[in-house]
Amino acid sequence: MNESKKIKRILEIIPGALSWSIILGLICLSMFKPVVCAVIIIVFDFYWIIRTGYLTTLLLMAHRRLLKDKNKNWLKACERLAPKYDWKSLHHLVIFPVYKEGIDILRASLEALRACYYPKEKMIVVMAFEERYKSSWETAKILEGEFGREFEGYLTTYHPDGLSGEKRLKGSNATWAAKKAKDYLETKSIPLDKVVVSCFDADTCVDQQYFGCLTHHFIINPKPHQASYQPIPVYNNNIWYAPSFARIVEISASFCQLIESMRLEKFVTFSSHSMSFKTLVDIDYWPRDMVSDDSVVYWKAYLFYKGDYRVIPLYITVSMDMAYGSNFLKTIVVQYKQKRRWAWGIENFPYVVSRFMNNPDISIFKKIRRSFHLLEGHVTWAIWATIMVIIAPLPILLGGFFFNQMPIGYNLPRITGMLFNFTLITSLIWILLTRTILPPRPKDVKWFVNILMLLEWAIVPFIIIIVGSTPALDAQTRLMLAQYMEFFPTEKRRKVV
Amino acid sequence: MSKEQKIRGVLFYISCLIFILGLPGILTYTMGFQFDRRTWKFTRTGLISLKSDPAGADVYLDHNLFSEKTPCSINDVLPGAHHIELTLDGYYSYSSDIEVLPSKVRRIEKIILFPLRADVQQLNKERISSFWVDDSRNLVYYVNMDENSIYRSDLDGEHFKLLANFIELRPPPKQWLFSPDREKLLYFSSRQIGLINLHPENESLPQESQFVINYPQDNIQDIFWHADNYHLIIAGEKKISILEAKPESLPFVLVNLNKRNASVFFDPRDEVIYFSDSQRAEDGRTYDNIYKLELKTKLYPFRDLIRLKPNEREQKD
Repeated sequence: MNESKKIKRILEIIPGALSWSIILGLICLSMFKPVVCAVIIIVFDFYWIIRTGYLTTLLLMAHRRLLKDKNKNWLKACERLAPKYDWKSLHHLVIFPVYKEGIDILRASLEALRACYYPKEKMIVVMAFEERYKSSWETAKILEGEFGREFEGYLTTYHPDGLSGEKRLKGSNATWAAKKAKDYLETKSIPLDKVVVSCFDADTCVDQQYFGCLTHHFIINPKPHQASYQPIPVYNNNIWYAPSFARIVEISASFCQLIESMRLEKFVTFSSHSMSFKTLVDIDYWPRDMVSDDSVVYWKAYLFYKGDYRVIPLYITVSMDMAYGSNFLKTIVVQYKQKRRWAWGIENFPYVVSRFMNNPDISIFKKIRRSFHLLEGHVTWAIWATIMVIIAPLPILLGGFFFNQMPIGYNLPRITGMLFNFTLITSLIWILLTRTILPPRPKDVKWFVNILMLLEWAIVPFIIIIVGSTPALDAQTRLMLAQYMEFFPTEKRRKVV
Repeated sequence: MSKEQKIRGVLFYISCLIFILGLPGILTYTMGFQFDRRTWKFTRTGLISLKSDPAGADVYLDHNLFSEKTPCSINDVLPGAHHIELTLDGYYSYSSDIEVLPSKVRRIEKIILFPLRADVQQLNKERISSFWVDDSRNLVYYVNMDENSIYRSDLDGEHFKLLANFIELRPPPKQWLFSPDREKLLYFSSRQIGLINLHPENESLPQESQFVINYPQDNIQDIFWHADNYHLIIAGEKKISILEAKPESLPFVLVNLNKRNASVFFDPRDEVIYFSDSQRAEDGRTYDNIYKLELKTKLYPFRDLIRLKPNEREQKD
């Protein structure tokens, strides 16, 4: 094993080893030094209360911004900036990497694109299919017939299987499509720096104002090519038909993304996002051998621009499908696997740190700060629910008679209870905010689903146990043991009405 | 930097400040330390945990009213002797002197506050001499010895009614006993046993609805009902006998006792009599022993478990 591979392996081991050390260390302490364990838990509880309060405030701020920006006429805003900013020369390239999604899902995504207020003669659409799925050829033909003449350009690409240096991942397909689009742009003599590329999951339905908003942020940015543009993903497409478990988890995921949009120094691209096509070409497209292509593409650009690259939040939603199975148990499995795939973003840590080590152009402060953010975020994700649900009662159970007779033994469950009560208050805020991002109730959905949507928040403690920390711990353990994950496309369902 | 990011920055630093300033306070509080302003030192304190039934009582620590009601915990109590008092309207107050130790929790969590006598209510509607409660049926039985009457009501004194008039015993009865099926009521003195059938309509002979059995053979100490609701186990001064609960019944002696006033107990579930008696040993001295007498036969212990074919059953019968 050469030196760089050794360093990469060590970096892969660090997050999992750290998370497991904290968990096992606390379990051992609860048996042999319950007072020390209780002190750590109380410090963590107090930290978590303050963190929850802080993040909920950020959520409220981001939500307020979302409501404000959602109703803005972004095209008019662009026009007001002309002629200082030439927005009309911009072209939008939209890539939909398709795995096995059916025509109903793809048609809805294209219809949403067609319904956008942005001029269609400035939009080029690429439907990127996998060549190995012959059934997709028929779908491609139908879609081309329906939408082929709606935009400035419409391309259908088929990503060949088994290209060298590639894994069967979304990034490979998207990269193939982007290369074909580059050829297309060059034949049309469209300069690459005048193209903004958006890579959307196949089920993404954009807001009608999306491209206006994106264009506005792109043209007013002094360094437009040194930024990615991140909309707020909401899982609304099938929200009224999804089971409670999936609904709560996905709404929470949307809110987490809203919170992240306020923390600009940590903000990284996630799922559907947009960026300069020139930058994408410069950084050699999306990664073709990593599952978390959406965030790695950001790090590639960050390294390319020597740390002078950022993610600009777009307070406008892109709506996607909620992941759920045909029954409750399958829904839990589907959700668990999806969260584990998201948590697999920890593969960014060895990728980024190993490259930081060989990059003298980025300041040491930036390197330490970004590495710490990456590690801290994922380790906290892997341990918080385990500490609060499993480890917090352990000193009481294993600490013995003398510990339970001490004030700290007596106060520990009270402090933990206080934490849960505080979490309940924040849940109330989340419930209220949920109502504001919901799409209108379809006619075939009964009115009492509204009440169900309020009551279902009671299952949050149960959800915390299942998808709180375990998927992240699972992902980190796999990385630690070099059991690398393959891309797992999430099972999504949509009721055809 | 946008306005939002500025607000966020302020929020972040405020959160950090709360954490840094609040953590020492929370830790010292949970670990039972108190800052003594006079000495400028942290001193170890104790904690008192209080729970009462009913909850909501006012708490006085050393005659000072505490801000919370029960259940509650009083933190930061200086070590030493303290006086606790709990008061609640309509209940007797509770008070106790306790010793609080440093870094220890003093748990007083099994306090019951008893209601004041204002809740006492009279149940009987007639004159009575004695009573007993049948808690399995939520009934109260009353005896009027002057009029030889038995009354019955529910636990609130409602549905009070005359149950039966009984035949007087000489000497007067010392105990009353229901049969296991609650159909018959037995009362006895040292020489007589009275029996009342509470549902006389079920009896074929009118004289069996109420009668007295004289028992001149022995001095009755105790009586037990057999599980069949018909036989009685009589624990006398000199012997243990079995008697049928019918007029003119004659006792069948099971055990002659050497010891006067021996203790007797009957387990109706397994039909076993336990009794104490004295016995002369080989060394010539007399010792007290406990004996067990099983009334059920043990000859065919699996008799009830063997399933017989119909023709076999006929033959057996």
